Amino acid sequence: MSPGLHTKPAVVKAASALLTEMQGVSSSLTYAALLTDDGFDVARLPGETDGARFAGMASSMQALGDAVTHELKIGNSEYIIIASGKGYVVQLRVPGKELVLSALWDNDATVGNALAISRSYAQKMADLLK
Amino acid sequence: MAEHVILFTGPMGAGKTTAIESLSEIEVVRTEANNSERHIADKPTTTVALDYGEILIGAEEKVRLYGIPGQKRFDFMWAILKKRAKGMILLVNSDAPDPIEEMLSFIEEFRELYDRGGVVIGVSRADVVAGPTLGDYSDALERTNPDMVIPVFTVDPRNRDQMENVLLALIANIEMRAMFGMMTTEAV
Ligand SMILES: Nc1nc2c(ncn2[C@@H]2O[C@H](COP(=O)(O)OP(=O)(O)OP(=O)(O)O)[C@@H](O)[C@H]2O)c(=O)[nH]1
Ligand SMILES: [Mg+2]
Repeated sequence: MSPGLHTKPAVVKAASALLTEMQGVSSSLTYAALLTDDGFDVARLPGETDGARFAGMASSMQALGDAVTHELKIGNSEYIIIASGKGYVVQLRVPGKELVLSALWDNDATVGNALAISRSYAQKMADLLK
Repeated sequence: MAEHVILFTGPMGAGKTTAIESLSEIEVVRTEANNSERHIADKPTTTVALDYGEILIGAEEKVRLYGIPGQKRFDFMWAILKKRAKGMILLVNSDAPDPIEEMLSFIEEFRELYDRGGVVIGVSRADVVAGPTLGDYSDALERTNPDMVIPVFTVDPRNRDQMENVLLALIANIEMRAMFGMMTTEAV
């Protein structure tokens, strides 16, 4: 699809609103971004993170995850988790779209809970784009 | 078994992924995403992490082929891939707005690969737009980096034989420079 979703003001606006709503659901969500498959920042929560740079990285990670599942012949990657001492990143594709949701959580959230919220908001984003 | 790790660099649409696809004897590891910058390179997909392929040169030497994403916004991948490579094929598409400037900026960015191994330049898509001559590229290099010796070729990355010649030229160049480096240190 071209041009990218990041160039469509209506998509950017809806994506920003959705991320704000998502933050309202859990105070453990410390950063979140929606980005295109080719690494453009569509929307992000305010914070110290360099949104453009993070969007590039998150898109690389998404593609590497897909390359790994392809190599191991286990289908498509459903989500990616990076855990660290200070929190973790949950990342997944917006179903059926050239769009990725990446979210940073603090350790007060459980992985299961973070994943459930991320999934539901990825689906909401997909529904908005229908 | 001797091993080489070669990095394919150059701007978006220069033909890095195409070149690795042409050369590799294994299924290439691809990280293509839909390209939303069709105004810069009119192709459906673009590399967002890396390409990876392998080829045997002779029966002995395994060459690992890595490709970068061409856009500056992926420069964190450049840093990762730069570290593991010991030579570079810099592809520059002749139809870029300023291919000479592109070449010089990638030489600057990946200079350590010259120091550690060697570099060759392949000018691609010269059939699409003639662009600067090979002499123009060499002159620009000579002017900006008089200390560097870098061969410049015209190449079509879709063509396996042409790509193989460029790769062999690079490997010969790396081996020659390694030998020369050894000789000069011994002489001191
Ligand atoms: N006519 C012509 N087409 C070429 C030549 N070299 C490459 N191409 C085409 O140009 C395009 C190059 O695309 P890629 O191989 O994806 O380029 P890349 O350098 O990997 O680009 P990024 O990953 O986006 O940075 C492909 O469609 C090739 O078929 C050439 O010498 N002549
Ligand atoms: Mg590529």
